[in-house]
Amino acid sequence: MKISCLQENLAKGLATVGRAVATRSTLPVLSNILMESDRGRLRLAATNLEIGISCWIGARVEEEGRTTVPARLLTEFVNSLPSGQIDMELIERTQTLNLKCARYEANIKGIDPAEFPDVPTAESLGEPGGLPLQTETFRRMIERVVFAAATDESRPILTGVLAQFYQGGLTLAAADGFRLSVTSADVGAELDETAKIIIPARALAELNRISGDQEEPIQLIVTPTRNQVLFHLTNTDLVAQLIEGNFPDYKQIIPKTYNTRAVVNTQELLKAVKVAFLFARDAANIIRFQILPGTELSPGQMIVAATSAEFGDNVSELDATVTGDKIEIAFNARYLIDVLSVVGTTEVALETSTPSSPGVVRPVGGDDFVCVIMPMHISR
Amino acid sequence: MPIRLLPPEVAGQIAAGEVVERPASVVKELIENSIDAAATDIRVEISEGGQRLIRVADNGCGIPAEEVTMAFARHATSKLTCVADLERITTLGFRGEALASIAAVSQVTLLTRPASQAAGQFLRVETGQIVRQESRACPAGTIVTVEHLFRNVPARLKFLRQPQTETGHIYRVVTHYAMAFPHLRFSLIADGRLAFQSAGNGQLRDVLLAVYGLDTVEQMIELRQEEDASSPPLSVLGFIGSPSLHRATRDSLAFFVNRRWVQDRSLSHAVAEAYHTFLPTGRHPVAIVLLEMDAAEVDVNVHPTKREVKFRNPQRVFATVQRTVRHTLINRARESVTAFSSRTWPSPEWQRHRTLFPSEEGLFTTHRLAALELYRADKDDRAPGFHPDQEPQPVGPIRLPLLRVVGQVGGTYIVAEGPQGMYLIDQHAAHERVLYEQMLADYRRQEVASQTLLEPLLLDLDPLLAGVLTEHLTTLHGAGFLIEPFGGTSFLLRAVPSILAVPDVRAALLDILELMHQNDHPLADQVENRLMAAVCKRAAVKAGQTLSYEEMEQLVRRLEQCESPRTCPHGRPTILHFSVEQLEKEFGRR
Repeated sequence: MKISCLQENLAKGLATVGRAVATRSTLPVLSNILMESDRGRLRLAATNLEIGISCWIGARVEEEGRTTVPARLLTEFVNSLPSGQIDMELIERTQTLNLKCARYEANIKGIDPAEFPDVPTAESLGEPGGLPLQTETFRRMIERVVFAAATDESRPILTGVLAQFYQGGLTLAAADGFRLSVTSADVGAELDETAKIIIPARALAELNRISGDQEEPIQLIVTPTRNQVLFHLTNTDLVAQLIEGNFPDYKQIIPKTYNTRAVVNTQELLKAVKVAFLFARDAANIIRFQILPGTELSPGQMIVAATSAEFGDNVSELDATVTGDKIEIAFNARYLIDVLSVVGTTEVALETSTPSSPGVVRPVGGDDFVCVIMPMHISR
Repeated sequence: MPIRLLPPEVAGQIAAGEVVERPASVVKELIENSIDAAATDIRVEISEGGQRLIRVADNGCGIPAEEVTMAFARHATSKLTCVADLERITTLGFRGEALASIAAVSQVTLLTRPASQAAGQFLRVETGQIVRQESRACPAGTIVTVEHLFRNVPARLKFLRQPQTETGHIYRVVTHYAMAFPHLRFSLIADGRLAFQSAGNGQLRDVLLAVYGLDTVEQMIELRQEEDASSPPLSVLGFIGSPSLHRATRDSLAFFVNRRWVQDRSLSHAVAEAYHTFLPTGRHPVAIVLLEMDAAEVDVNVHPTKREVKFRNPQRVFATVQRTVRHTLINRARESVTAFSSRTWPSPEWQRHRTLFPSEEGLFTTHRLAALELYRADKDDRAPGFHPDQEPQPVGPIRLPLLRVVGQVGGTYIVAEGPQGMYLIDQHAAHERVLYEQMLADYRRQEVASQTLLEPLLLDLDPLLAGVLTEHLTTLHGAGFLIEPFGGTSFLLRAVPSILAVPDVRAALLDILELMHQNDHPLADQVENRLMAAVCKRAAVKAGQTLSYEEMEQLVRRLEQCESPRTCPHGRPTILHFSVEQLEKEFGRR
């Protein structure tokens, strides 16, 4: 293998695939990055067996070939090089990669690429019916649900995001047993049949990270065996294992009615919750809300309070447009911060019925997003 | 075979078997006599584990010449006169059997003189018969010499252990009486060597110092009884080991009831209960507990050796001991003697200690001397030029020293350094302890936060666990589980304690019910404690979980604030300490 490319391109490509490199694996080759010539381009690939990322960068290929080199060493070395051309040559016999850039030269010892697991690409799958999704819409949808997925592996199904397609649109839902986040949008997909898949939330979070400057629609491909999903971007492919199983029926969890609805400014509420969280973090993150309907003379109010037995307490007041009855209810501050950070509208509504019934957060002026948060209470 | 009355020597030997079991029993009886004779200096001399010779010499009141021969008669005593006296026994002996029993199985020589008489009496008794009696010059007091113990009882002789073992038993007897009577001076000379000596200055701590050594006494805390206005008065005094001090057997537990060394399972149990969660499982505390109560409240006439007693109100004694020990442990604050503990990393502070106590490096190492000085200064409350504010630790409740996190080993242990060396912390056990104390505090304030589930979870339990759940439903509710019966063995779980907010709450709850079932305990508050311990075990970080530096830092900070940071709620240790000395020694620096 003999390839030349620009330092900037290589550094960027390595950063893209770097997140899929396994950090603690018993398989040494998984902490390496696969480099191979691919029809006039250089393909970089990494996988931790849960997700795999491939990235293609422009290069001049003088001699075809492939190898794997330690990800961390290669990335850090390339990042320290001056911008300019890097010439790489593989010494096949010893699996050593020789890199030259300006007056720097290095030899990095690699591992035989035959040991590297196969990372599927859109091309290797033969692109069977890729589904184009509008990038910007899809990215916002991911942002609105991934936080609600479970990080704990004890119920694997909840570490995934349910993606449900319908005529022209897509619904994403995630839940961790204590909260539920559901968003729907028209993603411009031309799809007749309805289909359901469960995608690992981690894969979607990675997709959001690497698709920042993607302008073309993201192609979604489900492998013919229906056990993997592949997102095809302009120069990058991300592949992940689908999660098998039945996602809980979330529709029945979303309350259809409410007794109290308070509409407040999103940023103000987020700020009040973050301040309360400073006090709540020692006390199980519990923050208390008091929602008071307005009178003829004064507007409605939302009072946010938190108490730490050890350090003190805090109270903030917000103006709110309140319909319905006065109520007191408590929530986990972290759950609220997560959802308020991604609502995306100026105003947000909090709906609930009793101190022990779910709190529902909805953006005002859009019915494409709903987040259900279960309340907390103090046992007596 | 016709029924006959036993000859007196046979009856005597049978009775002796109950009182005189081994050489240590002889020493015990003789010491008790000396104490009852108001002696202030008691010397015990033994040879070959007491089998060849036991000599107890005291400076007590002595026996008048006209009563000497009576002393060896069975049921002869000066300590009681009527049955009513048995109700209020204030002397250690009272049965009038000891000397007669000893004399029945050995050769006894008695030399005694009351201070008021000019000449002493010499008496030699062999297997119960007086063989010689004469006047002799001797110091005031009594010297009893017992030779050839069990020579005429081959069966007993066969059961005697190695002389070293028997010496050990005698050592225990003498030291325990020294603890019970710190104002008396005791010495034990074994085979010509001074094995033990107490100062007799009335300070229990000084006796303990002589018995256990500085290393142990440094870690002992004086018992502080809470105000107890109830009558009849019951006082609990003594010293207990801090949780870092523990032994493999119960031998280091000693109880004295009105200064009588007794063995009582319920008292041992009371102390063990008080140490619950403080000590690693299978380890036993060190404790010297002295109970003082009205003589009428306790019956000592239970067993010939008087090692067992009966309390009129055992529950009260049990509860008072447990409460006092627990109270002292929890409030051990400044007494936790970190001031006396081993040396710190070499530092300017350390240099100052060195210059303060420059000489006498021969007997003690410098830090020991410093510690001893500190201890004395503290005790005398003079403390010239030495005040707690010079100590590296802040004044106030000192539980763990301030630790700096260094890193994590094997995804399981946190490595930290403190002023006294290196510490390894088991992250799971430490987190369990932190959560446990937090949850217990919340529970006491009735402020356990619980998190409602997105969907109520239907639990179909087997009848056994369903029974456990039904029985403890209110306790579970108090701990943050909201569970409703749903007919039969089905239940609806609506909320869980917020620290247990994991996706798989079903498995978590089943685990907890199983743990509660296994640790079924009759006492009510124990159920709560065990439930909390089970919840925390489930909620704590697991071994193998990689923690960020901030997480480790946070965990260590919170552990420092715990009441008893050294063990997890199940009694496993949370923290191992490698002292500076130990490290220096291992690396051959010293």
